[in-house]
Amino acid sequence: MKPVKTTSPVLHKQGPLAFAVLVVAILLTSCAVKLIGDYDDTIDKGVTDVQQRAELYLSKLQSTPNTPYDQSFYDDIDARLAVLKSRAVSLPKYPIIVEQLGNLRSQFDTLQKLDKSSARPFPGVAVTDAESAIAVSVESILKLELALKDGAKPSAPGLTKGSK
Amino acid sequence: MALDVGTLATQMLGAALPILKKDASDAESFAKTEFTKIAQTIVSIGEQVAAGQIDQLQASLLLDMQTSASRNVLLTLKGLALLAVQEAINAALSVVKTAVNTALGFALIA
Repeated sequence: MKPVKTTSPVLHKQGPLAFAVLVVAILLTSCAVKLIGDYDDTIDKGVTDVQQRAELYLSKLQSTPNTPYDQSFYDDIDARLAVLKSRAVSLPKYPIIVEQLGNLRSQFDTLQKLDKSSARPFPGVAVTDAESAIAVSVESILKLELALKDGAKPSAPGLTKGSK
Repeated sequence: MALDVGTLATQMLGAALPILKKDASDAESFAKTEFTKIAQTIVSIGEQVAAGQIDQLQASLLLDMQTSASRNVLLTLKGLALLAVQEAINAALSVVKTAVNTALGFALIA
């Protein structure tokens, strides 16, 4: 096979990443490329709902440190996350969010151990630390979901059919 | 009409690179914000143990939660990278679609 030779200064200037994009693009010329799944409203709202419930529980623990351990809270969160994870598993090209939901579930398992094993009054600083960790995970999942939502909009340059 | 590799490549890169650069910048900003929060919490956990506010078991569990949070930040970055590459490839194809299909006389790029 004859190698393709190009003297384009753009290719030399932009480096291997740009060249890789070009090569992949040329190889995949039949239809639009799909590397990751679409936005899912149920997962977006479900994760937000889990965070709201967690915030409520942790706020109560913060303001009233003698609040007893509540098994029903953890059972409820676990069930909700299990349902969301099952949904994510069934969606095409969703392994990243499946793993993220697994990590979020693992965080609640750890919080449960902490909550169950800690004497009362529960340390307020621990509530703040736990809340922060859960918030980072939720924000990470939502950031990706919203990017998937924005990615579905044809706003990228050069997407007009008449381009040459 | 003959197709010129250099011209096509320039057009494709012109469409793809702004997307890659913008998305990389957004991802960097997100990662910086989230890792700063995690770093602050890790420092805070150490200070709380030193001050006797939490014990070592509690600190260990809280650190475990931070580790999961870090994993989720990294997974989001992985997802954003995939999305950026997807958008860049599609933009690159789209920008040369008409020229390629016209030159070849059939719809190679759908």
